[in-house]
Amino acid sequence: MRGRPLLYTTYEADQALLNTTTKKVMLGLLLVVLATIPFQVVPGLDFLGSDDWLRLLSTTAIFVVGALGLNLLTGLAGQVSLGHAFFMGVGAYTAVWLGGPEDGPLLGLGLPIWIWLPAAGIVAALIGVAVGPTAVRVRGLYLAIVTLGLVFIGDYVFRNWDSLSGGAQVGRDFPPLQFRLWKEEEPLIDFTTPGTWFGVEVSGLAKSFFLLIAIAALFTLLAKNLQRTRVGRAFMSIRDRDIAAEIMGVDEFGYKLLAFGISSFFAGISGALLASFVVRVIPERWDLFLSVQFIAIILIGGAGTVTGAILGSAFVVLLPRLVGDFTQWLQSVALGDGFGSAIANVFVATTPNDFGLVNTFAGIGPGLSVAQLNLVIYGLLIIGFLIFEPLGLYGIWLRIRNYWKGWPFTY
Amino acid sequence: MTTVLERADAPTADVGFMTPPAYVRRWAANHPDLVAMREKDFGIWQEITWSDYWEKVLDAAHGLLALGVYEGDRVSIHSEDRPEWVILDMATVAVRAITVGLYPTNPPAEVEYLLSDSGAVVHLVEDQEQADKVMSVIGSLPDLGKIIHIEPRGFRKWRDDDRFIAWDDFLELGRGHRQANPGMVEQIMAQATGDDVITLVYTSGTTGPPKGAMLTNANFAFNAEVLIANEDRTPDRKPLGPEDMILTYLPLCHVAERIFSTWSSVSRGPCLNFAESIETVQQNLREIQPTIFFAVPRIWERIHASIAIKGRDATWFKRVWFGTGMKMARYIGDRRVANDGDHTAASRIVYAIGYPIVFRPLKERIGLRRVRYATSGAAPIAPEVLRDFLGMGIPLFELYGMTENSAVATTNYPGANKVGTVGMPYQGTELRIDEDTGEIQTRHPGTFKGYWNKPDKTAEAFTEDGWLKTGDVGVWVDGTHVKIVDRIKDIIITSGGKNVSPSEIENSLKVSPYVKEAMVIGDGRKYLTALIAIESEVVGDWATRRQIPYTTYRDLTTKTPVIELIQGVVDEVNQKTSHLENIRKFRLIPKELDHEDGELTATQKLKRSSMSSMFGELIEDMYRS
Repeated sequence: MRGRPLLYTTYEADQALLNTTTKKVMLGLLLVVLATIPFQVVPGLDFLGSDDWLRLLSTTAIFVVGALGLNLLTGLAGQVSLGHAFFMGVGAYTAVWLGGPEDGPLLGLGLPIWIWLPAAGIVAALIGVAVGPTAVRVRGLYLAIVTLGLVFIGDYVFRNWDSLSGGAQVGRDFPPLQFRLWKEEEPLIDFTTPGTWFGVEVSGLAKSFFLLIAIAALFTLLAKNLQRTRVGRAFMSIRDRDIAAEIMGVDEFGYKLLAFGISSFFAGISGALLASFVVRVIPERWDLFLSVQFIAIILIGGAGTVTGAILGSAFVVLLPRLVGDFTQWLQSVALGDGFGSAIANVFVATTPNDFGLVNTFAGIGPGLSVAQLNLVIYGLLIIGFLIFEPLGLYGIWLRIRNYWKGWPFTY
Repeated sequence: MTTVLERADAPTADVGFMTPPAYVRRWAANHPDLVAMREKDFGIWQEITWSDYWEKVLDAAHGLLALGVYEGDRVSIHSEDRPEWVILDMATVAVRAITVGLYPTNPPAEVEYLLSDSGAVVHLVEDQEQADKVMSVIGSLPDLGKIIHIEPRGFRKWRDDDRFIAWDDFLELGRGHRQANPGMVEQIMAQATGDDVITLVYTSGTTGPPKGAMLTNANFAFNAEVLIANEDRTPDRKPLGPEDMILTYLPLCHVAERIFSTWSSVSRGPCLNFAESIETVQQNLREIQPTIFFAVPRIWERIHASIAIKGRDATWFKRVWFGTGMKMARYIGDRRVANDGDHTAASRIVYAIGYPIVFRPLKERIGLRRVRYATSGAAPIAPEVLRDFLGMGIPLFELYGMTENSAVATTNYPGANKVGTVGMPYQGTELRIDEDTGEIQTRHPGTFKGYWNKPDKTAEAFTEDGWLKTGDVGVWVDGTHVKIVDRIKDIIITSGGKNVSPSEIENSLKVSPYVKEAMVIGDGRKYLTALIAIESEVVGDWATRRQIPYTTYRDLTTKTPVIELIQGVVDEVNQKTSHLENIRKFRLIPKELDHEDGELTATQKLKRSSMSSMFGELIEDMYRS
């Protein structure tokens, strides 16, 4: 009720997603910022509108969809899965089979996006459901190993099915983000080339940015709603104690299948979008590292929370960029004079054979490359979060929020 | 063409004396969709509009008629506060019968006394617990015809007992009767007079058995006019209205809660919000954020203590801010106490600084942020507590009244709020302080009709010239305000001849969060002593933090550090009083005081006589040299 945030007179109000004015205002602000990013009008945030940042943000949006999927399965239903990359690959290759050029040397039917994108999700979901029953048999570590197997099977199939994937280390182009009604020459809406929308000049990257943000928002709403329904509660009960859940009347078998199905659907969509956005993808892209990245996303962001999946995606996608920028900055400091340079010199190599924790001169000399450093940082972060903040970035946010909510008391 | 269908007993214009149910009918006719009551059920606050309310009152009133309740019959209610309580109360008054409220804590023996003394014919029980109480004494209650029960759980053993009827069946019975006799209740309502007794309020009875004070429609009307509708009481000079929110949590059978909840609600329209239980009051307060709040001193002390404890337990950064805030509150409170309750320029500035950083979030947390008018009554309160709340910006006023004068005696007004007094007499009422005895006496149309079936006691309650004797000793302060010294019979005269008011010292002791109850002793003795009951949770927590192991409440009271802790509290109070009023010795009471064990009245007041006999050994021990 207005002015009395804790007074609920209906269940609708009690369950509302935006139950406070603050949340409504914050969401509104976020939407405004997102909508204006490509136009570089907000001072201080205008750098986000540059091409490389738009690319990062779009990738984040794609990762959000995939992370929400894994979050449903691992965070909500408690089924650890290392096979997320496999399902993303299935989604991507379904997309390319259906949406790839008809007349090319590789498999392709030339169908429009409104067929290949949902199909990517559905095919991945079907395979997910097929895999699901193993999860009823094995749990925990064993399930992780079973799903790990999926990644290797996928890796093998993708690399060797040349007519679909284009072949190992070669890859192929994926269908672009273009909306066609059917197989006509000119797309109805092209999200990849610059054009004019409602009288405003929009670059191709900006167009795809808007599309991907919209899709991510749709899936966020889906995941959020799923979480607060009977299905979501059933998932959580299985996570907390599967035997107890079954005794309460939760159909463990059915819900585990459903969890795998929905999760794989999200993964398939995410994989198709990722491949389409990147354009050319080699089959090795869908490897264990991608799965680990998603595990990192939900653990760093906060397992079992939608906000965590979003925060984690942003973190994991943006981290390499930040680490890269930081290394570059360190390098510039190290090359300068004074006290700062001495300290920076320890951490970064200034010449190919110089000693440094990080060496930006790829492949030569001692030290880690920036990509390796990223891996190390992921690892450290996962360990750190698991030990100190199991709820991840979201948990940190929750702590800050509760600190101020409780003011001037602690409880 | 449209036809307007009208029910024979749809809310109509006011007919007859404006009894409480007549007001309900008026609200239902003029504002049918306004929310009259809320009750928390299955996690959300379910709303009852005035038209729902009136429909239920009519059904229940017809139900009473169907059960054969006639004018002047007594209907008793033994339940926690909930809408059914109020609905049956209104229905009873609608058929010109008399409501008798029982405290949920009343043990079987008192249930037996109250039901047989009042001669109740219909009895409402909330649940199986209350049903068990009445069934254990049913043999001595020949008048009792029907027992209505609200909760169905646990009633299977009586399913063949036709004395029981479930609330829903009772309303269904009423609906049947209503269809057969439309408009009958309204006809009876039209005959109501000001002289009709509408309720028996049993006084708590710190001495002797409780007496049922008869309050009439005229008493209600007088109270509604002088007290409830009195807009001079509130700091913003706005009378109570439908936009106001009230949390109903004290027993409705007590005159104070009846006036501040039901009577206020029907006569002025504030929404009643029923707390889930006394344990959840603090949580419910946060949810409801009432605009009008009445509490007895015990509740104010509890809120006061919980603020202190939570502040102490906070992390260091918060503790620093909180400590600063409390210093500010005390500063503001002192200024306001010295300035008849009003801000001075300096205190206003301090308040403006403290508001965003401490006072606003603090008041939000304790659920009193939207309170525009708060009162304390029914027992004396320590001035320190009032001061601290005033300092936090809660407009808290102490008032004074008793069942026998419909709680109309004195009140503090904004702009003339003298902390430590109970305020000024209401306009249109008479109040005098007897020159010989110092007793406060009142005379106005709110004075009760007498004690039920006790003409001799009724006669004792009045002076020869028709003034109501309150039994309280008071003095005038500045010629306008009344300060209560104590109950006449509680005043202690030491063997040295010194007159001491125990309640003042007791209240100072109770300001400490560690002290739950205190009883000062010393009548006819050389010096004063005290029996002190500790607040088990707070002291237990204190002991745990200091790694003092204990098992039970009794064990806790024997620990030397605990005794030293309380000694510290006593010493602090002793510093503020004169030498002759010092507590020389004290003992901790080895058990939790309880209504059922007879140490407390239903309103949680000490029964001094039974305390003296139960803990006589402890008392004598303190006077052995």
